[in-house]
Parts: sequence; C-alpha cells; structure tokens
Amino acid sequence: MPGSRGRRAAALDLARPLPLADTAAEVDATFRTERRIAVGYFVVFVVATLAVPALTLVLDWWSEGRVLGGMSPAFLMTAVGLYVFFFALAVAAASLASTVEDRMLGEPEADAGAGWDPP
Amino acid sequence: MSNAGLAMCVAILAATVGLVVLLRPRRASTLDFYLAGQRVGVVTNACAICGDYLSAASFLGVAAAVYAFGLDGVWYATGFTAGFVPVLLFVAAPLRRFGKFSLADFLGRRFDSEAVRLVAVGVVQLVVLSYLLPQAIASGLTWELLVGQGLAGLSPYATGVLFATVSVTGLVVVGGMRGATWTQAVQFLFKLAALTWLAAAVLGGGFSYSRAVADLDAQPLANPQVVDGTSQLVIADNRLSDEDPTFAEPGARYGAAGQFALVVTLMFGTAGLPHITNRYFTSPSGKAARTTTVWVLGLAGAFYGLAVLLGVAARDLLPGAVPGRPWLAALTTDGVLRVPEHALLALGRLVGGEIGLGVVASGALLALMSTIAGLLLAAAASLGHDVYERHLNPRATPSQAVRAGRLATGVIALAATLPALAVRPEALSTVFPSFTATMVTWAFALAGSALTPVVVLAIWWPRATAAGAAAGMLTGAVTAIGALVGGLTSGPGAGEVLLTPTFLAAPAAALAVIGVSLRTQVPQGLDALWLRLHGTAADRRAERLALLTIRGVRVDAGAEAEAPAR
Repeated sequence: MPGSRGRRAAALDLARPLPLADTAAEVDATFRTERRIAVGYFVVFVVATLAVPALTLVLDWWSEGRVLGGMSPAFLMTAVGLYVFFFALAVAAASLASTVEDRMLGEPEADAGAGWDPP
Repeated sequence: MSNAGLAMCVAILAATVGLVVLLRPRRASTLDFYLAGQRVGVVTNACAICGDYLSAASFLGVAAAVYAFGLDGVWYATGFTAGFVPVLLFVAAPLRRFGKFSLADFLGRRFDSEAVRLVAVGVVQLVVLSYLLPQAIASGLTWELLVGQGLAGLSPYATGVLFATVSVTGLVVVGGMRGATWTQAVQFLFKLAALTWLAAAVLGGGFSYSRAVADLDAQPLANPQVVDGTSQLVIADNRLSDEDPTFAEPGARYGAAGQFALVVTLMFGTAGLPHITNRYFTSPSGKAARTTTVWVLGLAGAFYGLAVLLGVAARDLLPGAVPGRPWLAALTTDGVLRVPEHALLALGRLVGGEIGLGVVASGALLALMSTIAGLLLAAAASLGHDVYERHLNPRATPSQAVRAGRLATGVIALAATLPALAVRPEALSTVFPSFTATMVTWAFALAGSALTPVVVLAIWWPRATAAGAAAGMLTGAVTAIGALVGGLTSGPGAGEVLLTPTFLAAPAAALAVIGVSLRTQVPQGLDALWLRLHGTAADRRAERLALLTIRGVRVDAGAEAEAPAR
C-alpha cells in the first residue's frame, strides 16, 4: 500500500495537464517510424518462417538428422521452435512500437521529435 | 458414451448458457451488443480471441492433420499461430484506434465510401460462411461419435449440426458480444486445460515425444482408403521424392510449392478474418489491442504445441491399443483411424476412459460453439450495422438496430446449416483427409487474398483510395475463388497450390489497390483521419480515465490533487 506521500504524488501526476490531441506533424513522423519498424520485423518473420520449409529442400540433414533423442531439426523447429520465435518477436516488436509512440507523442513540453532520432 | 461422460458435457454446456444469461447486455445499445462496451481487458480479450480462433479446425483438425500427414500436418498449427504476427505488426493497434463496429465499417469510414463498405460486407459474409460450414460439419461428426443417436427422427450427424448451430445462435442472440466474450474466454481456458490434461496423462503413461517421432519416421506413412469397396491402408504418394513418405519428413501431403503456398495462406489469412479483427474493437485502447495480441501469440503457441504433441501421440499409441478394445477396432483399419478427426477423441477415451472422452468431446463442442458464436457476431455486425443501420433504416432506434443484428445472426446461421446438412462427411474424408482444417484453410485464403492486403494498405499507405480498395477486394476475392474452384478440379500437383492461393491472389489484390489508387484522387481530410488512425491521444485519455477510476480520484475542479491523499 502506498503511503500518503505516494498517493499524493500519484494524484499530482494524474493532475498534470493532458495534451488533448496530437499534431499532424507528430503523427506523421510517428507513423513513418512505426511503418519502418513493422516492415523490418515482418521481413525477419517471413524469412525465418519460410526458411524452415526451404531448408528441407536444400539440406538433407535438416529433415533427416536427429536431435533431442529422435526428432529431426525440421520437425523440432516446426512443432516447437517457431512458436517460441513468434512470441519473442511479438514481445520485441510490441515493446518497440509502444516505446516509439510514448516518446514521439503525448509529451506537451517536448517539441515533436526533438531529442530523439527515429531508428 | 457413458452417462457420466454425457453428464459432464451437459454440465459444461449448461454452465456456458448460465454465463451468457448472467452477462447478457442489459441496455439496448449496439455498442454493448457488438463491442461489449469497448471495455474488455487485455488478458480477458486474449483468452476470448483464442476461444474465437481455436475452432474445431484447431482442436480436432490440427491433431488430425498431424495424425494423417506428419510434418506436413504440423504446418497447419504453425501457420495458424504465425497469422497473429502480421496482425500485431500491421493491424491491431491502428484498427482499434479507428474504433468502429466491424471490418466493413472500418474500411467504409477510412475511405469515406459506402461502395467500399458494401463490397467489404459481401466479402466478409463469404469468409464467415466458408468458415462456418466446416464448424457445422464438425459439430455433426462430434455428436455422431459422442452421442451416437439422433433426435426427432434425424440422423446423429444432422442432430449434431442442428444442436450446435441452433443453440449457439440462441446464445448469441441473448448474450451479444458481452456474453460471447466471457464465454469464449472461459471456453478457451477449458480447451487449453483439456489438452494439458490429455498431454500430462499421455506423458505420465510413459509416452516419449522424441522416440515416437523417430519410430513413426522409420516406416512409410500409410492411411486408410476405400479400395474395391473395402478399407485398407495405402501408402501416400510422396510429393517431393520417389521414396515412400515418412512421418517426420515433408512430402506426404504437399510438394515444394504446396508447402510454401499453405504457409503463406495461413500467415496472411488471420489479419483478414472478420471475427478476429472485430474482437480488437472491444479493447479499451490501441496499446491494449497490441498487448492483447502478444498474449494471444503466447497462448495460441502453447495450445498448438500441445495439439501437435497429441497428434503424434495418437498416431503412436492407438495401433497398439486396438486389441481388446472393440470400440477402437470399429474406428480403425489396421490400427489407423479412418476419420483422422477422431484422433483426440479416441486418445481421450484410451487414457481417461468415458470421462476422458467426455472431457475431450466437451472441449471439441466448446471449440465449435465459441467459433460459431464469433462468426455469427461478425456476420451480424456487418449485416446489422453496415447494411441495416447505414442503408435500410438510417434512423433506426438502438433497440431496432439490435433487433436487426439478432435477425442477421439467425439468417447467417441458417445459410451455413443447410449446406452442412446436405454434406456427407464420409465422402469429404475420402477426398480431403483432415477436411476440417482443409476447409478452414479456404476461408483463410479468401480473407488473406481479399481483405488483408486492403486492410494493411488502408492503414499504412495514405495514398490508397476508395476505388483502389474496392478493386483490391474484388480482385482478391475473384482470384482466390477462381483458384479454389480450379484447385478442386485439378490433380494433386497444381491442385494443392491452387487450393491455397493467397500467394497468387494477395499480390494481385495489392497491385489492384496500388494501380487503381494511383489513377484516382486522394480523398480530402486525410490529416484528420491519420490523427485518429496513428495518433495516441484517445489512448492517453482512456488510460487517464482508467487511472482516475482505479484510484478513485474525482475529476471535479480543484479537489483532484488532494482528495485521494486524505
């Protein structure tokens, strides 16, 4: 339970003025950055996912080798590994997208984009 | 099935009905009926999306595909999960920030065009119907195996089809999105628990996943087929080499092009599925919608990982269990199930007796019900809101609009039930082993071809115009349907590619959007629209409001800083 000082600080934080709307310039810059991030992650996602069936066509070991007591690398990757990859990619992409929005939008005292270079 | 198993099914279904009645919307508001008041939390919505998404094709169909085709079947599970990555990257947050009732409503408002809205309604209805049909067929099959008896002179199959569609239609009409959200969330948790229990029981009984894959891979993959009037095991053709196909290597179902076509179709389809995208409108903010998708990827990955394991377990364990079990002998040919969709049900009965069958069958019925509910709501939202409220009766009162949505629910349910009753599932199983997953893939193909490219370009390409969007949807739909029809009449080589046509149809749709948009005028007021689509002001207001509500701060003048400290 926060003490009275903590509650007072939280209340003061809530009482800060809230920017009612974003400016068109801020949103345009954020949108372009977010689009670059989404496309970048999407390329990684597509290449990694399609690499799994592609490797079965060009690398015998990928489907005939045995790891972890009997599974082929292709089976292990398709049945388990890709789920872990998708989740890790999702966590990273969502964190980055939200961080970009937080930094580029909604700060009343900051100039749009000032002090932060989009990746 | 024993009375205990049947009683368990009845109890679970009764609990579902009770939940819907308890949570039904009390106000006659379309926002409540279609969007549960837009106040569904992250974890609840993630569970509800999983409940909506993990249909019979996932619960019974994925294990069936793995059971029948080994590695080629595993791609269904991986592809169904992968579909949420494009949703996260391109769709979830902006779609919610635009905050409208349905996918068709989003596209209509984004392009300020009633023509776009109506084309989208048509495509959405096609996707919903093609998704509903395999759910209704699977309902009949599950009832056939579970109960084995028809009611009122109907066959067991027809009774199952009617039971599922009529009961879910009733629940949706009463509960709307609010009732559906909570029941879908609970239904997903039950489905996940059922698979977890089954996997734990199988592993606890000494099953080794790795050893089973290696053992199954050491022999040719054969499935039952009717030859000269009798069922016998026939080794599948290897689509990749001259050798016999095996369980852990590709080739039993798809050739090289077919594998890529399947993966691409499943990867791109989810972002265009109306019953999934509609769920994002129920989130309180864009950021919540994005976080919800991360949860969905984690939960769906766990679910599909278990489904694959259980498909392998069924293939490995059932042949040795046939001696001394007449019920299993009746379902199999030389130890292999004639209908692969029975894999989980048979495994449940093998490891858990009649109660085990009851648990798995309840999971299957809940999977069917939750997906049918989501599909009916998506169809109702686009027909009730986008057609009735926008065109047939623009001055409709809230209660009239909700009534229209309820009527639309019944019409769509009827449209899916009639063809399901006319189908003979045994004949489908012969043409398409694991037909539930196969038929759902056709819905993914249509959604990924006609809707996903248009939705993504609408969100991320400011130059897209109404004419371009309409051209894109029509091009994607016509190309996909043409390819599917061509695939049904072609041989295995071209057929397997044409039956998963997104890699052809989606680029065609995207090119149509771009080509036509570049030749037409960009609509006025794009800046204001972009502020709503990509700005976060509404999110911040929603977050602030939530914080104020949680901390009990009064927004009244002057007192807000001191009130909570006292």
